[in-house]
Amino acid sequence: MGTPKAALEWHGSTLLRRTVGILARVTDGPVVVVRAPGQELPALPPQTEIVEDPREGLGPVQGLAAGLAAVAGRAEVAFVSSTDMPFLHPAFVRRVLRAAQEGADVGLPVARGYPQPLAASYRVTLAPVAAKLVADERLRPAFLFEQCAVDRLDEAALRADPVLAALDPGLDSVVNVNEPADYQAARARPAPEVTIQRFGPLANGHRGPEQVLAATVAGAADAAGLTLDAHVVAALNGDQITRDGETPLAAGDSVFFLSADAGG
Amino acid sequence: MTAGGYFGRALVVDVGAGTAHTLPLPDDVLRAYIGGAGLGAWLMHRLGPPGVDPLAPAAPLAFVFSPLVGTPLTTSAKFAVVAKSPLTGMLNDALSSSQFAIAGKLTGHDAIVMHGACVRPSVLLVDAGGARLADAADLGGLPAAEAETRLRERLGKGWRVAAIGPAGERGVRYATISHDGRHAGRGGLGAVMGAKRIKAIAVRAATKVASAHPETVLGAARDLRERSFGPATAKYRELGTLANLLAFNAISTLPTRNFQAATFAEAPRLAAEDLAEMRRVARNSCASCTIGCEHIYSARGGKTMRVEYENVFALGPMCGVSDPDAVLAASARCDELGLDTISAGGTVAWAMECAERGLIDAPWLRFGDADALLRALDEIGERRGLGELLAEGSRRAAERVGGGSAAFAPHVKGLEMPGYEPRTLQAMALGLAVNARGADHNRSGAYEADLSGEHDRLAGGEAHVAAAIETEDRAAAMDSLILCKFLRGVFTDPFTEWAALLSAVTGWDMDGAELRRTARRIVLAKRVFNIREGWQPGDDWLPERLLSEPLQLGSGRVAALTPERLRGMIDGYYAARGLDESGRPDPADLPDLQLDNVVAR
Repeated sequence: MGTPKAALEWHGSTLLRRTVGILARVTDGPVVVVRAPGQELPALPPQTEIVEDPREGLGPVQGLAAGLAAVAGRAEVAFVSSTDMPFLHPAFVRRVLRAAQEGADVGLPVARGYPQPLAASYRVTLAPVAAKLVADERLRPAFLFEQCAVDRLDEAALRADPVLAALDPGLDSVVNVNEPADYQAARARPAPEVTIQRFGPLANGHRGPEQVLAATVAGAADAAGLTLDAHVVAALNGDQITRDGETPLAAGDSVFFLSADAGG
Repeated sequence: MTAGGYFGRALVVDVGAGTAHTLPLPDDVLRAYIGGAGLGAWLMHRLGPPGVDPLAPAAPLAFVFSPLVGTPLTTSAKFAVVAKSPLTGMLNDALSSSQFAIAGKLTGHDAIVMHGACVRPSVLLVDAGGARLADAADLGGLPAAEAETRLRERLGKGWRVAAIGPAGERGVRYATISHDGRHAGRGGLGAVMGAKRIKAIAVRAATKVASAHPETVLGAARDLRERSFGPATAKYRELGTLANLLAFNAISTLPTRNFQAATFAEAPRLAAEDLAEMRRVARNSCASCTIGCEHIYSARGGKTMRVEYENVFALGPMCGVSDPDAVLAASARCDELGLDTISAGGTVAWAMECAERGLIDAPWLRFGDADALLRALDEIGERRGLGELLAEGSRRAAERVGGGSAAFAPHVKGLEMPGYEPRTLQAMALGLAVNARGADHNRSGAYEADLSGEHDRLAGGEAHVAAAIETEDRAAAMDSLILCKFLRGVFTDPFTEWAALLSAVTGWDMDGAELRRTARRIVLAKRVFNIREGWQPGDDWLPERLLSEPLQLGSGRVAALTPERLRGMIDGYYAARGLDESGRPDPADLPDLQLDNVVAR
């Protein structure tokens, strides 16, 4: 690839920044990045927590053990993701998380022909189990799945979620970027279609909602002819207010641009 | 020697005895409290008998000016009206802007205080000849604006008038004092004036006041004027505060049907964007203001109305009313009667819910019924029918009605809530709960933190506490200088810049750190006044509905403000303010307040 996957650019952001942002939008707990010892990472939101694999090159179960251990006591369930899924959709994360929240130890999507252990939900109590597997050099996720209750979510189960079916009908959430050709194909795809709306003095003749292609809040602001600054903020899906232009957007999102001067 | 921008004295008028005297205001008191709301707090400590009934003759009512009034600094033509509120029983200051501020100060006083009560309806006149009373029998029952017009015609050139409407005369606990079409609106100060049988106060300039460094002040005024045309004030210039309505609706922050919802499906009918296109006829400014936030709209019957977010919110979504003509008519009716629109709308919305639940016998009163809203306002202004109950405000009315209605009475400390939904603005939730005036968006602008993008507005915590304190301190400084808060966004280092302005006017060498300490002193002085008047820890709290009924947002998240979360923020606020766990000050901090008759713990 020539560049670490975490730092690959996609529509104005990096793959890791995008993944972290999507997960932060969906979860109410910490977002933890597990990196190889000394690995350089692209810029991330300040609240992102970073932990290191104690040993390099041991594969996904090692990362899983380190990540789950990092959130022990602070969360019951975690979504575990690789860094290279530019189309990961919040609706997919919500659906997969629900499986572990409803009693399974693991919510494992089986989509686009494969199980997706790095787009899955895990009970945090699995951390020592994963660590033991690493110690025993049993490094495949399948060994972990042998030891716990796994809710396998096939495509039909995933698409039974109407929100997910509407927003990610092809389950592109699990499309990852392993080869240069994958990356080129991902870059060739347009940014997600989102709805923007400007309010108050920002409307400047542009009243009502409008569809644009934008992968980040900054991209949406640009499409609206606005710049996020001391006087302009964005509300994502009518919920969180942000001035962080790198906040990732996904298909179906709405971004409201508001005057930050709310007095009166 | 008195500092620049000051006269160093207040005029204290006993309107019952028809006598007046001047109260010296020493330089150290002025430096400690500045003017406006701050100096007003000091005056209430000094002149208000502890435990006084706000509507009793002994209760003082102060019109307080400030050192910046009369300078060329934009938005400085403001004054504070300060008294113990008949609605809350606590300290209340209401700010307003007009030529009244300039003429009042140039009577030669930093404040004009009245106490006592006249035998018959009167007008208090203050000019070079001092203070005197004139008969006002012919003005009884008139709307404030009409009384003001008649008085100015009678008195002649140079007089400026602040008057009350029929609601103030009848003791409605949220009656306003009006002047030049503006209002000192919150907390029922019009009822205090009405209880003294003072229909109006008229002032005429008699002297001048100089700044210590006039050239510096002039330069600062030019600079501030330029900055006031920038992006920080664009919202106010282009659409006015009503621009909030549609935006707040989009982010589930628009209190609707007495806080039963935070979005109003019919909000677009009341949006500034539409009203401006269809109905705007003019844009006006207060005296000495370069922003021009007043947007005037045409209303049914050929009338025109100045429209603000708060009156449209309170008389529209809060009551479930979406007909713009009805909301404008209700606003006009509040102006004519002299009613605070926020308290009127909040109290009527509470009554609508009571009526729908069968707690009060008013089958005609329903959410969304514009005619019912107008009828309720009339009855309140005249204190007849249901209005006799509703004229008391939602807290007292709920105490009488019972049936669990206190849980959804939309007030803090008795003051009805403004149009900021605390469950989705949780820094603001804290600001509303702890503020000395009660539920108020002008003494705590903590919503700025919620809307900054720096904090999760649905998960109040430590960061929200710090932000709420910062905005409360800034408000205390701006309300005492006085500068309009619509200007706040143009300052990059507010306390330092404000201290420089104040120093240029007064000649003091005040820096930003001292002004920040001053702001904190003013906040504490208000709290200490309230403690003296019977404040209890439970008064720093929000209505039960807001703590027990989560809101489902369109994004899928649930906005819940639990009692535990609010308690945690209040505890953090007390600790950061140096208060004890029950919200009372450390006795060691009291000497700094320079107050007498202070009741400590």
